[in-house]
Amino acid sequence: MENTIVKAENYNSYFGDNHVVKDVNISINKNEVIAVMGPSGCGKTTFLRGINRMHELIPGATSTGKILLDGENVYDMNAIYVRCKIGMVFQRPNPFPNMSIYENVVAGYLLNGLKISKAEKDVIVEKSLTSAALWKEVKDSLHKKGTFLSGGQQQRLCIARAIAMEPELILFDEPTSALDPISTSSVEALFHELKANYTLIIVTHNMQQAARVSDRTAFFYLGELVEFDDTKQMFTNPKDTRTQNYITGRFS
Amino acid sequence: MEARIGTRNTKSMIFKGVIMFFAFLITVPLIIILLYIIKQGVGQVNWHFLTHVPAPVGEVGGGIINALAGSFIMVLIASIISIPVGMLAGIYLSENPNTKLAHYSGLCVDILQGVPSIVVGIVVYFWLVKPLGTFSAISGSIALAIMMLPIVIRSTEQTLKLLPDSLKEAALSLGVPYHRVILKVIIPCGFSGILSGIMLSIARVIGETAPLLFTAFGNPYLSGAINKPMESLPHLIFTYATSPYDDWHNLAWGASFILLMFVLILNIVTKVITRKWKIQL
Amino acid sequence: MTPLENEIAALKKELVNMWILVQSQLNKAKEAMVQFDKDLAREVLVKEKRVNSFELKIDMDCENIFALHCPVAVDLRFLLAALKINTNLERIGDIAAGIALYVVESAVNFDMDALEKTSLIRMYDEAVNILMDTRTAFEKEDTVLARSIFKRDDVLDDINDNAPGIVAEIIKADLNILPEALYMLSIIRKLERVGDQSKNIAEEIIFYVEAKILKHYESSQKNKSEDEE
Repeated sequence: MENTIVKAENYNSYFGDNHVVKDVNISINKNEVIAVMGPSGCGKTTFLRGINRMHELIPGATSTGKILLDGENVYDMNAIYVRCKIGMVFQRPNPFPNMSIYENVVAGYLLNGLKISKAEKDVIVEKSLTSAALWKEVKDSLHKKGTFLSGGQQQRLCIARAIAMEPELILFDEPTSALDPISTSSVEALFHELKANYTLIIVTHNMQQAARVSDRTAFFYLGELVEFDDTKQMFTNPKDTRTQNYITGRFS
Repeated sequence: MEARIGTRNTKSMIFKGVIMFFAFLITVPLIIILLYIIKQGVGQVNWHFLTHVPAPVGEVGGGIINALAGSFIMVLIASIISIPVGMLAGIYLSENPNTKLAHYSGLCVDILQGVPSIVVGIVVYFWLVKPLGTFSAISGSIALAIMMLPIVIRSTEQTLKLLPDSLKEAALSLGVPYHRVILKVIIPCGFSGILSGIMLSIARVIGETAPLLFTAFGNPYLSGAINKPMESLPHLIFTYATSPYDDWHNLAWGASFILLMFVLILNIVTKVITRKWKIQL
Repeated sequence: MTPLENEIAALKKELVNMWILVQSQLNKAKEAMVQFDKDLAREVLVKEKRVNSFELKIDMDCENIFALHCPVAVDLRFLLAALKINTNLERIGDIAAGIALYVVESAVNFDMDALEKTSLIRMYDEAVNILMDTRTAFEKEDTVLARSIFKRDDVLDDINDNAPGIVAEIIKADLNILPEALYMLSIIRKLERVGDQSKNIAEEIIFYVEAKILKHYESSQKNKSEDEE
């Protein structure tokens, strides 16, 4: 399909001899929200980190197979270029503590030493913070440290930081697991808005979250991609009994 | 049973009392030293004292400008040598804690920290002073740098190890190359910790006499040449305190006072900086 | 608005659309009956399929919302109510189709005089009005209006109770009118069911808005005291 943005072909990941992601084939369309769920240790985070080549930063981690971003294998590209094109948001909000909110948003440019004018920066900051539904809350305190914000605001700041680089794809690694319910719903509401311009892949422990926010859901179990289908289909009539057992909480 | 509970309570009260007593006791030596040195030294200190070289025997007055300048120059050179080396080594140790190299160099750092300062002095004497044929400020600086290194390395390593991995990941995921991640994120975030390590290492070596005895030696005149012998505060104290002249004793007291104040101020500044610049994670 | 709120608003709109369709089915069936317009009656029969597909669609929407959003509190009550209202509306749709079928099957047109005597037209209008007011109550979450439905259903019940006697008299007067008279009696029975379904819907509206369960309330109260409303 020409609409495909990311495609994994026979993708495998290893930590040393430990085979954590097994022969995954998946094809993700533009402007979709994909939830990746599964029990702990099922390889979902490892798969996610394989997409923007963060996986290989861990000593002993290797992978085989292809991950195609717009038809091009990311493992044939420069890792730094790949990570510029694919944004990532982590489990714990991690704004740079030495930077202000403003600097945090343009951190991707500052840290990469890309020279951009103040006016351009202003535009990027406002645009990204607006997209991350944070502009109204922080526009008067842009030069305060990012770490003074609440957890949910920090996480949205991290999303703004990822958006600022204008990625095609944003990966979320359990983005709300360290947040309280109110902050969680503020971040979840954001997913729906981001969908218009970006493709989101969200790894989550929380099944309800997967159900609420995603268009399609992938279920990983023991490193295998068990099922990948429409979220509605998945939560009303899953095809695989393992999926059924997982979402109904019947895993022994 | 109740009687035993009573005994137990008494025992624990006594134990609490004892540890409190010793906690108080350790402040006593410092207070005594401070008071004594202030009493002996504060009277010597004046503008003349700070701006003149020591007077020859029999002459009134004289100061310690040669030692002040010497200590400053040598510590500065030692810092220039040890801070970059120590920080880089510390970064390696914190970034790659599980490698063989990190294990062995960490061990070396620990041992280096335990090497007596006089041994450092004598080694530098045989390495540098003898081949060069003269005592020199630069060899003194190198000896001091060797003393500073382990402190800088360990403080850098400990500080950076406390920073969460997520910080590094955040930067890497933005496509920032590794060297920029270290220089622009990791070091700035750990800056207060690294700085306090550096300050403490300076405070530690500024009072070192032994490594300088065989290296910088001493010089009664103001000198800026780093290939020549140079005076330093601790060496000046050593020489003048062991002399038989009362005038010189007073000079030593004054110098001790200055040295002590310097170390005290460094420590306080370090504490303030760490508290103020502490980065909220 | 949260995604769940959006889903619920959409579902509510869908239900209202179904409601409007069912109302128009009832109206058309009445029109067909009065005018003895068999084409119009056939149209009602064809459109019954649309009512059914509405029912299926709303059922599926409810299932998806339950599965994806795990609604609680007012949202949960709304969805439970929506499921039942959906069924009730579909039944009313069936009734409209049933009436239309009589029109199609009947050989001759209904005698206006007989229609008048049995109060069938009046009953029909009242049933349609009740259904419309129930819809208003649903749209506006108006429980006062919903409660008024219970009383108005009694009118239908009265007409229904008197119907057998009246129909018997009409038949006695003119035996030729027998098939029509029986159709009329059946229609009256059906319209009484429309009243009951509306009452059930009103109960669901009160359940969803106020979390009060009125079902079987009357019968249990009647046993205790007679002057209970």
